[in-house]
Amino acid sequence: MNHSTTANGNGSTLSSSTDAVEAEIRDRADPRQVLADRVAQLYRQMPIAIGATFIAGAIATFELQGRWLTQLVLIWWVIVVLFTLAASTLLVVYRRSPDKLASAPQWLRWLAIAALGNGASWGLAGGVFFRSLSDEQQVFLAFLFAGMASVGIPVYAASWPIFALYAAGILFPFFYVLLTFGNRLFVEIALLVPLFYAINVAIAYRLTQVFHSGYRLRHAYGKLTEDHRVLNQRLERQLVELEEARRQVEASGRKLALFAERAPIAVLELQPDGTVTEVNHAAEILFGYAAAELVGGSVKKLVRAEFHGEFDRTWDSLLTTRESVAGMKIRNPRRDGVDLICEWTVTPLVNFRAEVIAVIAQGRDITAQLEAERMKKEFTSTLSHELRTPLTSIIGSLQLINSGVMGEVEKDIAELSMVAERNAQRLLDLINDILDIEKIESGKLTLEPETMPVDELVREAMLLNKGFGDRFKVRFEARGGAAGRTVHADRKRLLQVMTNLLSNAAKFSPEGGVVDISTDEAGPSVRVAVHDRGSGIPEAFRARIFGRFTQADSTATRQKGGTGLGLAICKRLVELMEGRIGFDDRAGGGTTFWFELPRSSA
Amino acid sequence: MPERPLIRICYVEDDEDIQRIVRMSLERVGKMTVAVVSDPTRAIETMAEFKPDMVMLDWMMPVLDGPALFRQMKLRPDTNALPVVFITAKASQRDLDELKTLGAAGTISKPFSAKDLPDQLRAIWAKLP
Repeated sequence: MNHSTTANGNGSTLSSSTDAVEAEIRDRADPRQVLADRVAQLYRQMPIAIGATFIAGAIATFELQGRWLTQLVLIWWVIVVLFTLAASTLLVVYRRSPDKLASAPQWLRWLAIAALGNGASWGLAGGVFFRSLSDEQQVFLAFLFAGMASVGIPVYAASWPIFALYAAGILFPFFYVLLTFGNRLFVEIALLVPLFYAINVAIAYRLTQVFHSGYRLRHAYGKLTEDHRVLNQRLERQLVELEEARRQVEASGRKLALFAERAPIAVLELQPDGTVTEVNHAAEILFGYAAAELVGGSVKKLVRAEFHGEFDRTWDSLLTTRESVAGMKIRNPRRDGVDLICEWTVTPLVNFRAEVIAVIAQGRDITAQLEAERMKKEFTSTLSHELRTPLTSIIGSLQLINSGVMGEVEKDIAELSMVAERNAQRLLDLINDILDIEKIESGKLTLEPETMPVDELVREAMLLNKGFGDRFKVRFEARGGAAGRTVHADRKRLLQVMTNLLSNAAKFSPEGGVVDISTDEAGPSVRVAVHDRGSGIPEAFRARIFGRFTQADSTATRQKGGTGLGLAICKRLVELMEGRIGFDDRAGGGTTFWFELPRSSA
Repeated sequence: MPERPLIRICYVEDDEDIQRIVRMSLERVGKMTVAVVSDPTRAIETMAEFKPDMVMLDWMMPVLDGPALFRQMKLRPDTNALPVVFITAKASQRDLDELKTLGAAGTISKPFSAKDLPDQLRAIWAKLP
């Protein structure tokens, strides 16, 4: 029992898997192709059918002639010959047809007609001649019919309905004649005819199935072979592409290695646990270790022990965020114990599973740079303190003498001490200007912007510089077209700009001249312009007027004072306040210096 | 504003030239009484004796700089209430902020005008509570 169950089980599994295979084959084979193949098979067999019909027809005609039926038999013979010709024509046309695949159903129908005609021509013979024949001839004819019917099986096996039509054409009239002959034996034989017919058709049906699946298999196999070929081609192509990609990766790898090797910056490749796997030549030179001394050890060898805790924290966060960190300053001890300060860019390399597989650290020695910065700062601080302190004494002493609180001084001495004070003041201005420039350029100047009316600012600047104007016997006059307009700017610094422009204008104006100050709206900005009646700016000097230490004529510096830094500071200050500064020639002689600042909404 | 006028000034400064100028400026121009201290470590002693209305401290001095001296003054009952004005050559915003937090009455930057110094001090004096 168990055994049979198992067998059944196996059987069903087997059959179901066979079904699956068949279904797959069905899907793979193109049914149109299978049909076309079957039609081709049928046409290939046609010469046999035509030949058999012709020969059998000739024999039958020869056997049956010589009686009263002679004319009828000859007519039948003509019909058989005509059919043979028609069938041959059909065969020829089919063979020459360029399109056997798409019109296969059409060819099948033609063949069905031909087969029916073939069968019917035999049927005609049976229906017309049988009754009038002698017993021997009847046996001959019956034998002929049976033979022709069975010959049809291999000929039309590729399509059982065609065989069915063909055999029906032969046997149906014969069956009728036998049945109505009036002879009991013939009736019994007649009853056997449909049985034979059914058996033959069944055999043809089975054969058709066999042919069908045979062709289907052939095509499925062809399709499989084709698929296989395409797949192979694709694989081959991918292999070529892969090889090309590998070569490219290798090439860029070599290039990268070369970059790292020749780079002036230290490059270290580290494992996620901080073990050094590779270092470049620059790293060897920078830290004084040979590559072999670093590779395989922890990178902490290059970090001072007291910073190991901080290093671990940074490292952990790097592995967590998996994001590159730039500008990390680390104190790195060299092999000889000297500390270097290096700026590091550290980049974790992440694989497709988002795991860190390596960390690339690129370091630049900035010790010298930091030292230079420190020295510059120190220098600035020295300039600011060590120069100002003695100047305080000098200017203070001269001021006390010149103010008269120390009593009357002889005229010549008083004059000299005035010169001394003025020049000491100039030196102080120069120091202040240099400090200003330094502060602006290092980005350390912080502005304290406020909203203020422009005309108020101009008035304040004129008041502040009145003394300076008096010294050069120059008068300041304001005319405003932007009354009440406000700007958002640092008052102290803007006054510094105005003071520079006004004192320049005063210095370069003729004695007794007037310097006009105008305020106007200029689009979204306010323009403040200082117009002088001086000799204008020499051509050669125009391009570098806002540069450092520039004055048109160095003798002018000595005569009129000034550091040559004033306009450079003005330009930087105005630009810091998001404005612009420039100058134009003034019609009728003189120069106009102007600056524009964005108007504030308040 | 204090009721009495500003008369007595104690000035702690290591640079002798500046000492002289400040003394002359305050005495001749400002008609004030000035005690100058060269050694900042002995400044508190002098203050205790001299009892100034106002103290002027130089910011940068050897051994004990202005801010450090100021902190020491804050610890002594006889000096902790004295208004202090710093004289400084380094006038960065950070320094000025630091002075303010220390509780300085005002700052005067170097170089100052010997002519205007007494008036500058009186202006600071006038703003005191």
